[in-house]
Order: sequence, then C-alpha cells, then structure tokens
Amino acid sequence: MELYELNLSFLVEGLKAKKFSPLEVYESCKNRIEKCEKNIHALITRTEDFAKSQLNENNNGILAGVPTILKDNLCTKGIKTTAASKILGDWRPPYDATAWKDLREAGAVLMGKANMDEFAMGNTCGNSAYGATHNPNDISRVPGGSSGGSAAAVSAGYVPFSLGSDTGGSIRQPASFCGVYGLKPTYGMVSRYGLISYGSSLDQIGPFARTVRDLQLVMSVISQYDPMDSSCFRGKKFDFTHSEDVSVKGKKIALVKEFQDFKLDTPISDAMKKVQKILEDEGAIITEVSLPVVARYAVACYYALAMSEAHTNLERYDGIRLGYTVKDASGIKEMFERVRSYGFGSEVKSRIIAGTCLTEPSRCEEYYVAATKVRTLIAQEFTKAFEDVDFILQPVTPSLPQKIGENDDDEMKSYATDLYTLPVNLAGLPGLSFFTGYSGNLPVGLQLIGKRWSDPEILNTGIILERHLGTPKIANGGE
Amino acid sequence: MAELTFTPVIGIEIHIRLKSDTKIFCSCSTNPDSEPNTNICPVCMGLPGTLPRLNHKVVEQGMRAGLALNCGIRPKSLFFRKSYFYPDLPKGHQISQCDLPITTEGFIEVHDENGNLKKIRVHHLHLEEDVGSLHHSASDGRLEGAATSYVDYNRSGMPLAEIVSEPDVSSAKEAVEYVTTLRRRVIYSGASDVELEKGMMRFDANVSMKCSDGRWGRKVEVKNMNSFKALERAIEFEIKRQRKMMLNGEEVKQETRHWNDAKGVTTASRTKEFYRKFIVEPDLPPLHISQEEIDAVKAKMPEMPDVKANRYVNELNIPREVADVITDDKNLAAYFEECLKFDANPVRISHWVRTEVLRVLNETQKKISDFTITPENLAKLVSRVDEGKLSTTQGKEVFDYMFKNNSGIDEAIKNLGITEGGVAGNALNEIIQNILKENPDVLEEIKSGKDKKGKKLKFLQGLVMKETKGQAKPQEVAAAIEEAVK
Repeated sequence: MELYELNLSFLVEGLKAKKFSPLEVYESCKNRIEKCEKNIHALITRTEDFAKSQLNENNNGILAGVPTILKDNLCTKGIKTTAASKILGDWRPPYDATAWKDLREAGAVLMGKANMDEFAMGNTCGNSAYGATHNPNDISRVPGGSSGGSAAAVSAGYVPFSLGSDTGGSIRQPASFCGVYGLKPTYGMVSRYGLISYGSSLDQIGPFARTVRDLQLVMSVISQYDPMDSSCFRGKKFDFTHSEDVSVKGKKIALVKEFQDFKLDTPISDAMKKVQKILEDEGAIITEVSLPVVARYAVACYYALAMSEAHTNLERYDGIRLGYTVKDASGIKEMFERVRSYGFGSEVKSRIIAGTCLTEPSRCEEYYVAATKVRTLIAQEFTKAFEDVDFILQPVTPSLPQKIGENDDDEMKSYATDLYTLPVNLAGLPGLSFFTGYSGNLPVGLQLIGKRWSDPEILNTGIILERHLGTPKIANGGE
Repeated sequence: MAELTFTPVIGIEIHIRLKSDTKIFCSCSTNPDSEPNTNICPVCMGLPGTLPRLNHKVVEQGMRAGLALNCGIRPKSLFFRKSYFYPDLPKGHQISQCDLPITTEGFIEVHDENGNLKKIRVHHLHLEEDVGSLHHSASDGRLEGAATSYVDYNRSGMPLAEIVSEPDVSSAKEAVEYVTTLRRRVIYSGASDVELEKGMMRFDANVSMKCSDGRWGRKVEVKNMNSFKALERAIEFEIKRQRKMMLNGEEVKQETRHWNDAKGVTTASRTKEFYRKFIVEPDLPPLHISQEEIDAVKAKMPEMPDVKANRYVNELNIPREVADVITDDKNLAAYFEECLKFDANPVRISHWVRTEVLRVLNETQKKISDFTITPENLAKLVSRVDEGKLSTTQGKEVFDYMFKNNSGIDEAIKNLGITEGGVAGNALNEIIQNILKENPDVLEEIKSGKDKKGKKLKFLQGLVMKETKGQAKPQEVAAAIEEAVK
C-alpha cells in the first residue's frame, strides 16, 4: 500500500507514531498528482514547492505534515487565487482565508488549488477558465461542481482531505459524483472570511474526505468562531470527537413526501431503499415529512437569491485594484466594459445579468424581495419538520454523473437537478453527502440533512452508515 | 393679471463624518492627515473574500447624532448594498442603511422670514461607509479627460451619517440656519467634530419651485457643496435659475447639477446619474439595538445648545444675544458653566465671557480649550469688580495679565501693584497730607482765596490720584482735599 492511499485518520496516527515521515507522505502524494493530473486536471495551481517549504516549519499541530488541497476560491497569502476566472488574472491575495489559516496552523501543507466552476457557478466543474476537470472514476464523465477539483483530488488520492464551498450543493454533489464524503456545514459554523463570495447568505466552506471519521477531524479544526465573519456563530461549542459507540436507535429519519414521485436513476432509488433498511435495522424509525413550499419554490427562490447576491459580489471586479485589466481604454466606462466583458465567462455573465434584472427597481419587489420572503417560509418549513424528526434522507442528485458536455445546452435542466441540495443552503442547514456503493465504476451517494448545528450528530450517523456501506476506494484516476 | 409668485421647496441631504478612531467596517485608522493609501486593509480595499464587520463605536455615534436631531432609534435596522460603478468605490457597491435606517424621523427648528420658529423635519439619519477619493491629472481636476487618475483608499470605509430632511426648507437662509443648528447639535452630542475645513460635512440640496399658477417644477439635485456659503449661494442660484425658466414658460426637468464654486453657477452633471439598486447586505446581520442601549446613550447626551441658551435666558436672566453666542461653542458654554460654580453673578460672568474672553481668543486666534484663565480666577475677578474691590479698568488689566502670564488672580494683582478696595480713609488722608507738605505754595494760594476757578485744587487732586495709582475714588479725593485745605 502506498502512503497516498492512507485515509486522513490513519495518516495522522502513522505520522504521530513516526511510522513514516511527512516528507515520505509528501513525496507519495506528489507522485500520485504527477501521475493522474494529466487525466483529471483537478488543479488550477500546483503548490508542491510551497508544501515542501511548510514541512520545514516543524509544526506539531494535529494535522502536521498532512497534504491538502483547497478550492481555488479560498484565499491563500501570496499564492495565486483565481476562482477559476480570467478576471482575477495572476492575483495573489495578501491574506489567508480563516479556514486555511486554521488548517495551516494545525500543520496541513498545501499541495494545490483545485479547479472549480468559475466563481462557483455551475455543477459540472466545466465552467472554468482553466478547462474542465474529469471524474477520476470515469474520465469521460464530469466530477460534479462547483467544487469538482477538490472532490476529484480526494477521490484520486492526491490528498486525504480537501476543502470546498457549497452554495447550492457544490460540496455534496461532487462528493457524490466522485465517491467521497462531503459535508456542507451549518451556515455560520465555518468562517467564510477569505472565501471569494458567490451568494454570501448561502455560501459555506466544508471538507471532503474518504471516511466520515476524517470529516470529523477536519471539522474539529475549522469550526472555530471568527470575528472576521459577522455571520459566524458565537459562543457555541461543537464536539466532533470520533467515537464508534454511536447509535440511531429511536431516531426518526424522514423522507420528503413531495419528492417521492420524482424520477431517480435506478441505482439511486435502489440506494435509498438499501439505506432505509440499514437504518431500520439499526433501530431508527423511517417516517415522512411534507415540505410543499420547498418542493414547489426552492429552485426558483434559490436562483433568484443567489444571482441577486452574486451580481453585487462580482461588482468589485473592475480592473482597478487587482487582476485582469486593460491599459488602453479611452475612459473609465470603456475600461469597466472591456475588463468585465473579457474577464468573466459566459455562465458568470448570464448570472450577473439575471441578478441585475431580478433586483432592478421595477422588478425588485416581484423577484428579489419575494424570494427573500419565500426563503423565510422554507426555513420555517424545515424548522417545523425538525420538531418531529431527527434527519431527512434524500438523494443528492436524481442521476449519476453525466458525460462531459452533456446537458451543457440545457441550462434549466441543469439548474433543476439541484433541487435536492439547494433547499439546505436556503435554510442554512447541514447536509452530509455519503457514499453508498458503486453502480459499475460510478459511485452512488445520498444525503442526510439535519437541523441547524446538528453537524456532529449527522456525522455520527454517517459513521454507522459507513460501517454498513463500506468505505470508498481510491479512484483509478484514469490510469 | 396678478404677478406670479414662486415658492421654493428645498430638501437637504447632509453627510457627516462620525468620530471614531477606526473605520466603520474594519479596524483601519480614520486619521485624515495620513499619507495616501496608508490607512487601508483588504476589507476597505474590497478585496475578494473579505467581509465587513460593524464597528460598534460608529453605531453609538450614529445614535448620538440621531438623538441630537430629535430622532427616535429603531430597534432593528438593516444594511444594504447600493450598487454603482466608479473607480473610488472598491466593491462596486456602497454599504448603506438607506432603506431601513438606524433612526426614525426627527426635526430641527429654524426661523422663517417672519422670525417665527418653524420645524424642518428630518426624514432619517442612516449609517454608511465613505468611498475613496480620486485625484486627476486633468487641469479641471475631473475624471473625464484626465490623462491619469489616482485613487486614495484612505477615505474608503470612513464612517458617515447621512441626514435626509423633508422638503420643508423654503429659502437659502433657512437652509443655512438648518445646517448651522444641526451641525452645532451634532458637535454637542459628541458624534462628530464636524470640522468643515476637513470635509467632515458635505451637502446636497434638492430644489424645486412651486408657482402660484399651479405649476410645479421638477426636482433638481444640486451636488458638490462643501461650505455653508456654498450651500447658500448654490440654492440662491438655483432658485433664480428655475424661477427664470418658469417665467419663460420653460419646463424644469429632473436632473443632477453640480455647483461650481469658482464660477458661482450650477451646471448639468456631465456624467449620467448611475443606476442604483439595493439588496440587503448579506454579510452583515440586522443591527439590533435594545432599549437599555438606547437609554444608556440618552443618559450620556448633553443638554443641546438651543435648550441650554433658553435656560440661560429664563433661569439666569442672561440676555438672549449673549446666551446664543456662548452656547454656539460647546466648550465655551462648558467654561461659562464652570465659572458659575464659584459664586459669581451669572449675568456679569456671561458679559465677561461674551466680550473679554472672546476678544482675547479672537485676538490670539486661540480656542477656548487653550484659554489660560481658570474658571475660578475669572469668577473671582468678576466678583471683585462687582464688589468694587477693583475698578472695571483694573479688572481688565488683571484679566489681560492673567491671560498673558498664565497666572492666578492674587499673583496678577500683586504684580500689577494694585491695592484692592482702592485708597481711602486714613491711607488717603496720609497721602493728601504729604502732598500738601510738598506743595506749600499751592496750599497758600488756595487758602488765600486766589484759586477762584479751582484750578489749583484740581492740580492737587491730580497729584493725589497719581500717587494712589488711580486707586482712589475721584469724588472722595476731591472732598478730602477740600476738607484738608480748610
């Protein structure tokens, strides 16, 4: 067994026991990246030299010497950060994102910045100015998005864990497509400071790993209160300590009534049945909740809000202070126009235009303001549902990963496939995308949702599921 | 046909820099004298990934300013993103409370043309961030046509309060009184020093005209006024311009105009007004203010200047003009009130403060905070003059001495060689006897009755006054000499 194949918890134990050195781990991961990257293209920037320099820092933290990868919308001091957009050019942030700062202080070393859909807008990892990422399980297929590079990197064994961000499913969907675990934490649990914003009220940073226990370890490092993020929780303590002594006995786990008529790929509906059986065997009670507003309005509400927020978040890219610019514009208006016309990709432009229209004074009440009200109803609907049940079990997506290029022309279909993931962001809930097995060479994932701040309990349930369903294997990475 | 009359309808928007050591959404310094682009950080530069965090000192200052304008404080207010593209605006949007501000409505009282008190309603006060400042290489200092423009982000994120009035102002004079009174109240509240020369107060005016024939002109927004004088002149100009247009049957259209202070005219804005829209700032939670917090700030609010002036008039019998002058400066009023603690007559002290204190401050270009005479010494001085221990002339000498030499009253009197209470009685008689001894020929002339016109007597009086350094009362001296020469 190669060192790169070790899951995070084993790697940490081995390093601590000095069974192998950080340098050996580093070399093994570096070779793995070298071998697979040409097939997968999970990374925008490779930072192995930086990682190597970090190894000399003699850090004794909990993640000392553990290689990691960050989605390229997380700011890294002095290291190119692109959000997969041309508009950021060669920008090197003067500061570290808080989540990366926490990992760095714990000893993690940075191997690269992962590919993504430009500004996290997309669910295929194909909307990147730096080219598409391929699914390590089948390189003709998409890895999912927007955090596709982060998911693919963990799946292919580049690193034992990575960070992504989830605005409407951008961690859970690629985790499911790549066959790894991904947690979208409760909104406010992980500081967003240094995460390049897409939809600020929906964005949340979270981890990818190949075991649930590994997610627990990462969460214990990054779920810190941060005064730099005003939406961050204050005065809460979270216990992500791993234990095998966990149970779902007597817990109520619900299916969403309104989703039951929706069509699913057979492997996904089979997985739903399999997981229900496991949970029942473990003593849980399978029940049903009704979420009519979610089923009817969540997709429209989500896109109205995400695009409205996004277009203001992207107003700062004007070519004046950083990134791509033009030197020969004949006036400030021409400069803005040329910088933004060239710098943004077409998906980003269409969302900026949509956001501008949705908040335009004559339509604002009808769309943006209405969406904020619907959002409140959705959050209330979930709150009420969680008075009666502990978790909701549902798919991540209705279908398995498509071939690269498929659906590209049908944006509305692409948006609608996010129905299972984006209500979680609207309500600020935690959601775990977990591995259930393979259909051929393609992994099949499902999702477990809990009430706000129930992330530790969700992961504990994940431990039980992993015990029954097995741990995903490292993808062949096109080799 | 009756002559047409026009009524100006004016609303005023004011931006005031709130007093805080750090910016509204980050911890950068607000020092206005720093080198360009030294008080900046990723947050106020709007770098990707950064988030605003609200400075609670600024919230308190906003509450103070709001309370000073008789506004209520809203228990829950919001921040919004006000979008437009401009090089001095790093995020492409300004974070502003425009749609659900920290205060409810308030008012400021001014005098109308008949001298009657009139309320100018304040629609609200809201918190927002300032933008950077631009420096252009073009000769007219404007963006268009400049070969190179520079942006200084020191000002980006400076805390501002925007105060929006209802269109209750009817003349340039009322406008000036409105902003003057408002400024004084805000200074009193401690929310801002409102130093005009440092650009801490900027004005925009919305001017429209109502004609007696029923026509209404559209609202014209006049921008770029940085002084009371500019505000007054811009409004006067705009009233005349619009009146003339309406007299000629032209239609006043809604537009933004710029005040050109050098030329004394408003000109149509060359740049089209930016299209603005608001969404809730998702990076800042709603601002909740509890009743306890409101009460705590209220408890710290000082007496407002007009209230104070009324009290001086009604309770201390100080003349209105003197009361207004003293309360114009918060620190001068505080000095005056400190003087009252030392048992002097309030009316007399007020006159001394109004005339002497302001005179020397004016002559020496000093502020009351630099004034060297302690309230206690001034109070003692006024009392002694009042009691006749010092003549008014002597009092002023002592005042000047204390001011120049930073001394106490007793030291001043001693060094000036003044005998308190003057020279009278035995002391005076002694001096007179000595003078008579030294001038036997004069005494002889008087006694012989030759001094018919009293010239010699006057001569002796002069000698005595000189000897007493003017500290004897002239009538007393005259009477004593007459007695002595009998």
